[in-house]
Amino acid sequence: MTSLQNKVTELFENGTINLLIGFKEAIHKLPVPCFIDNVSQVEQLIFTPSCKGNLSVYLHKTEVKQAKKVGILANTATLRAIVQLVSENQLGDIEKTVITLNTNGELVVFATMDELEAYVQANFPELSEEDKKLLDQLNAMSRTERWQYWTEQFSACVKCYACRAVCPMCYCSSCTVEGNQPQWIKVSSETTGNLEWHTMRAMHLGGRCINCGECGRICPVGIPVHMLTVKMNQDIEAEFGAKTGFSVKNGYALNSFKPGDKEQFIK
Amino acid sequence: MEPKNQYIPYKMRIANIIEEAPLVQTYRLEFVDEKDAAQFSFKAGQFAEYGVFGEGESTFCIASSPTREGYLECTFRSSGRVTKALANCELNDIIGLRGPFGNTFPIEEWYGKNIVFITGGIGLPPLRCLIWNLLDQREKFGDITIYYGARTVNDLVYKEELEEWKNRSDVNLFLTVDPGGETPDWKGLVGFVPTILEQNPPKSENSVAIIAGPPILIKMGMPILGKNGFENNNIYTTLENRMKCGVGKCGHCTVGKTYVCKDGPVFTYDEVLNMPPEY
Amino acid sequence: MEIKNIKSTNIPAFFDQMIKSGKVVIAPVLKKSGKVFFEAVQSYDQVSTDYIQTGFSAKSVVFPKVEELFSFKKDDEGIEITNNLHTIPETVVWGLRPCDASAFNYLTEFFLKENPDTYFTARKEKTTLIAISCAKADNACFCTSVELNPGSTSGSDILLTAMGESVYIELITEKGKAAVETAASLFTPGEEKSKEEFLAKVTSVFSMDEVKVRIKTAYDSAEWKHASMGCFGCGACAFACPTCTCFDIQDEGTQDSGKRLRCWDACGFGLFTKHTSGHNPRTNQTERRRQRLMHKFKYSVENLGIVSCVGCGRCIRNCPAHLNIFENILSVTK
Repeated sequence: MTSLQNKVTELFENGTINLLIGFKEAIHKLPVPCFIDNVSQVEQLIFTPSCKGNLSVYLHKTEVKQAKKVGILANTATLRAIVQLVSENQLGDIEKTVITLNTNGELVVFATMDELEAYVQANFPELSEEDKKLLDQLNAMSRTERWQYWTEQFSACVKCYACRAVCPMCYCSSCTVEGNQPQWIKVSSETTGNLEWHTMRAMHLGGRCINCGECGRICPVGIPVHMLTVKMNQDIEAEFGAKTGFSVKNGYALNSFKPGDKEQFIK
Repeated sequence: MEPKNQYIPYKMRIANIIEEAPLVQTYRLEFVDEKDAAQFSFKAGQFAEYGVFGEGESTFCIASSPTREGYLECTFRSSGRVTKALANCELNDIIGLRGPFGNTFPIEEWYGKNIVFITGGIGLPPLRCLIWNLLDQREKFGDITIYYGARTVNDLVYKEELEEWKNRSDVNLFLTVDPGGETPDWKGLVGFVPTILEQNPPKSENSVAIIAGPPILIKMGMPILGKNGFENNNIYTTLENRMKCGVGKCGHCTVGKTYVCKDGPVFTYDEVLNMPPEY
Repeated sequence: MEIKNIKSTNIPAFFDQMIKSGKVVIAPVLKKSGKVFFEAVQSYDQVSTDYIQTGFSAKSVVFPKVEELFSFKKDDEGIEITNNLHTIPETVVWGLRPCDASAFNYLTEFFLKENPDTYFTARKEKTTLIAISCAKADNACFCTSVELNPGSTSGSDILLTAMGESVYIELITEKGKAAVETAASLFTPGEEKSKEEFLAKVTSVFSMDEVKVRIKTAYDSAEWKHASMGCFGCGACAFACPTCTCFDIQDEGTQDSGKRLRCWDACGFGLFTKHTSGHNPRTNQTERRRQRLMHKFKYSVENLGIVSCVGCGRCIRNCPAHLNIFENILSVTK
């Protein structure tokens, strides 16, 4: 057994967890999420750099909440998501045991949220080279060019809502896009309505998105939809000094007020 | 002849509006085009898609009896986008109607039998069509018994017709409201429909039972009838899953392999037991 | 079956001749994202020749993501209802894979067998399918498990198989024959021969006969939960799928003028079955994913006698969680 499998076995045996959200290798050789509820299944567990998925999204599932004592394999993005979710009071009912691999490939199990938070702050990820490049390109565009870029991108959107489904921060039990009284956003997929949907989602995520990039990575038509919130996060950080998924005490920059804020209207 | 385009609605004029209960209305509809009226026919159990142009369509049964010609009636509760828009329509407004869709109650097979109706809330409209269909040929059937209840006295629909059925000697009516839903002058029963059914069981000999209403009533009521000696193939229900197309294509109403819209909505208890419980 | 050959260097001429003859030609195009999608092209230069599978299937040609059922307009006379069925152009789909082409058999059976669908009929009548055999496959391909193969002719009007310098052409239907007539001089008569050595090797992962028997009792399998817990409940699989047909009907515009549309929908969405009352017959993702998979392998067999999965692998490639349909089918029919 690998050290991960040994560790997880130990956590089950000493009663720390009764469910582990991890990865296993599917028949077609890619990692898929797996939900392990007893020691006999531990042998399928893997955790490699190819395990890119952000498993924290499953912490919202009823079946997971019911399990109460939940272990989770977390890459850096997942750790940030957990910090952000805790700051938004979303994981109150779950006793979490978070397991990650440090930069040396060693297993780290966090005993407390403080430890996890400290680890995240010490290992805070930068934007990937690919995303930096795309962000530079977007920033260099004129407004008109940028509008054209996104219009073209979103014309291909089919509204499968995979971007929302994989997002750990999209946890609303009922989404604005599905409200039909009034019908804010068209149900059919067409360019304007698609733009409205993605703009609305980005506005709800600006300053909350933890830059995991999952929505862009998994988009079936290949829209780099994560760049909207990446850009908004960058602006919010520049304006308010707030980083998402950085501190469990972090208020939401866009609805908290500090005496030092630049805006005068509230004083 | 080309097959009919099933998505093009008939145009219907709202000829009468009756306020039945809070948020519940009955519309009487007449065909705008006489040719449509001439070719349209339906049988008890069938349903239609009623549409407000620009808002969408909503699914309900046809609540009037095919024995009453020249119009259709539907009864609906205003709750979603479409039903609210429908409720905002006025007399003489034009709405769309597609149908009739689905299968029918096998009325001819019931000649000479006792018929028992069990329903609650706005589960009565689908059975009202059938009830009047039978009452309009009353001599062909044995006893007719109706168990009907609503949350409160005010929520009972077709109040005048209930009064008429109560006063008819050839109809047994068990009229009830949920505990707490009675008014000081309420003279009917108090209790949930399944409870009333258990306390006053219908005789199962030579009888057919039809049960309609919210899924919970169907799921609770069918076994009670079974315990009272009704055979599963003598218990009928009409299921109401979410629907969009009405013609077995859109997939919304499926229960396993069954499309409620085209294989139903009328099913026997036997058939229901052979489906996954996804209704 | 009538066989013809064409030099591979003459393919662009054949292709462009179809466009010149006034047909809308839908073909695989490499997009900026690095993915290949079907879209209408103006010349062969735009066509991608290096792809295992397109991101989405070709079903949108006969079942578009948004179909206008009709438009309406209120005036003093009443309401006028019109539709645009007469504007559907003659369309050629070029380069779909044999699995996709075979999906059209299912689609046709589903849309036309009972309560025939006017819109599907109109589009299907105007569509010619020119499929290309697969020389390459990936780990997500499993056509051979669902009794197809990289050179199946089922569903296509024409099947092209590249054989070195030359392309072997099977003219399966009258529509297919008519399509090559647009550029008859480019083709030479040929004889039937084996395509085997030019086709991708796709290993079968299960026996369809066994699955058909075992899935009959699979509804209560505890494995559905393991197969579905990772499912996010998005529509990526259903929208990419060549045989998924579920749709929503939506009105847009005002009560005075607007249109009624039919839009792709997916049984995996939580709201798909939800009643206005709040009651939901399929309450969790396990039940929803079971519905989708049982529909493909059991319900469509019972209703139409056809397994409605063609093994194209798109649901696997597109799934954000990489859930694998054939692994799931194997586990629930163990």
